Amino acid sequence: MLLPPGLPSIKNIRQRAKPTLVDRIVPFHLPSELNADRPPERRGLARDRVRLLVLDRNTGKVTHTRFDRITELLSPGDLLVFNSSRTLPATLTGRLRHSTSIAEVRLAELLPDGTWLALLLVQPAAPRGKDPLTKGLRLDFGQELSCEVLEQDQRIPRLWKLRFSKSGTEFLDSVYRIGQPVRYRYLSAPWRLGYYQNVYALHPGAAEMPSAGRAFTWRLLLQLRNRGVESASITLHAGLSSYLDNQTDRQHLASEEEYWISEEAAGKIRRAKDSGRRIVAIGTTVVRALESIAAESGGAVRACHQYTQLRITADYRLQIVNGLLTGLHEPEASHLDLLAAFVAPGMIYRAYNEAIKQRYLWHEFGDLNLIW
Amino acid sequence: MLRKGLGRALALAYANEAVRGLALVARGKEPMQKLKSEIDKIAPATNVVIIQADLGLITDVERVAAITLEACGGRLDILVNNASTLGPAPMPYLLDYPADDFQQVLNVNLIAPFLLIQNLLAAMIDHGGSIINVTSDAGRVGYPGWGAYGISKFGLEGLSQTWAAELAETPVRVNWVDPGNMNTTMHRDAEPNEDPTAWADPAAVTDIFVFLASAAGQAMHGQRLEAQSNWRNAITKG
Repeated sequence: MLLPPGLPSIKNIRQRAKPTLVDRIVPFHLPSELNADRPPERRGLARDRVRLLVLDRNTGKVTHTRFDRITELLSPGDLLVFNSSRTLPATLTGRLRHSTSIAEVRLAELLPDGTWLALLLVQPAAPRGKDPLTKGLRLDFGQELSCEVLEQDQRIPRLWKLRFSKSGTEFLDSVYRIGQPVRYRYLSAPWRLGYYQNVYALHPGAAEMPSAGRAFTWRLLLQLRNRGVESASITLHAGLSSYLDNQTDRQHLASEEEYWISEEAAGKIRRAKDSGRRIVAIGTTVVRALESIAAESGGAVRACHQYTQLRITADYRLQIVNGLLTGLHEPEASHLDLLAAFVAPGMIYRAYNEAIKQRYLWHEFGDLNLIW
Repeated sequence: MLRKGLGRALALAYANEAVRGLALVARGKEPMQKLKSEIDKIAPATNVVIIQADLGLITDVERVAAITLEACGGRLDILVNNASTLGPAPMPYLLDYPADDFQQVLNVNLIAPFLLIQNLLAAMIDHGGSIINVTSDAGRVGYPGWGAYGISKFGLEGLSQTWAAELAETPVRVNWVDPGNMNTTMHRDAEPNEDPTAWADPAAVTDIFVFLASAAGQAMHGQRLEAQSNWRNAITKG
């Protein structure tokens, strides 16, 4: 792993975490061997041949198939909505100016004023109560890139606001020269950025891969197109899935995320909804974007570019999305809160236990779950 | 190659067509900056992005793709894979070719076009686009002494054919163009004993590239074309 040594491991943190709301609804233990520690292509499997657990929203019935057979499940006229956000190498390693300390910066979100919210991890770690991070600190990254630490985020105190010395194309150029993808401890190797891109990814800006769409291959996408299955793309730059801190992660704080819906996509979604066709979100980020705009504009999807803080939980009434393709995530992930808007927690519990029994693999390189 | 090469001539030719934006990729930044100033004068409305990169490096290809996608707002009309390296000059026989140089030539001339197409396809597949790979006569005939360069171009022609077949049902078009003998630094390095004044000015071979990017060229797909032949007649007859 390229992570600096001594950083807290997520798995350890999470084992110490107290149960959350969803833990109480969906209690399960994930054996460590079910962490997908490598991309399917590196475990001898075609990208689109991961397993697919299909959960019927109405009956709770679980069936098992292979992801590339999704062509047999979808019907002409179904609309798949993808998130075209492209994964950034969002982990930057810098040096605190006038100090020997190293800081790992995980970019989380670009703010409208051009500053970034980022997770900052300093090595060596300071003793408790002596946070080395203060306003006005400067970090140097090489490639003539530096940043000033502005202030701590009020909502998520693990995040700091940073102003970088470059912006736009120049900033992107430096980030790609020095950055690494955000990686977690369960991986068997520091997989390069290319493994963290969906084949259809376009707009660079995601802190982590919107991984539900990873199994789609061009061959499969072209097959679906030929079968009359429609597709549309929105962009939501996914933030970090973990703040590497049990207290913060346990609160399931909905990070603020930037998203765009084009007129073309909005039109396709409106037409599918008006004609009663099925709308399947490829990933929870898509659910968040579509339901955010619907909540704001009286149930209609329109072209927009804005930020969302919408939190979707069990009591949320979905207005646009009928189905969801998603990965399998840890019990503490806020992700499960959102699934509860699709199916009763008891059904998720049974489906997840079934997935564990059937040895499904978890996380961004793992197997998939279709709920509809 | 930008000072005198085909890349520079192509950038100017597309600028003359008042394209909305151009992303230029080369190893050296300075010649690109000069070219950008030239383009700013002749086509002030064209947004020019320059990307310094070594396409032999997979991480640089990623960076080029990301910056290009960001600059074009996720929609690309034309991709020209022109960057190539000759390898060591004078070109050694394969018998004597250093393995590392062989690898480097294949990385730049073959792997990079493969990865660029793969990474940029999403920006073309819905609305259509034109991919043009620059090949060579050395990609058809195994001339002695043309070493890794010729072999990389053989590979590029195969790559182009396979891409064309796989994309046949999409609005993306793939063609490959042999520009013929041109008076460029690369060609002078390749054949130092020949008279370069007999070779074409790169600016004289850009018509086919403009044609393939135009509405008129939309019927062309999966073709090998020679820039210095009578390609217009061939197209009309075809």
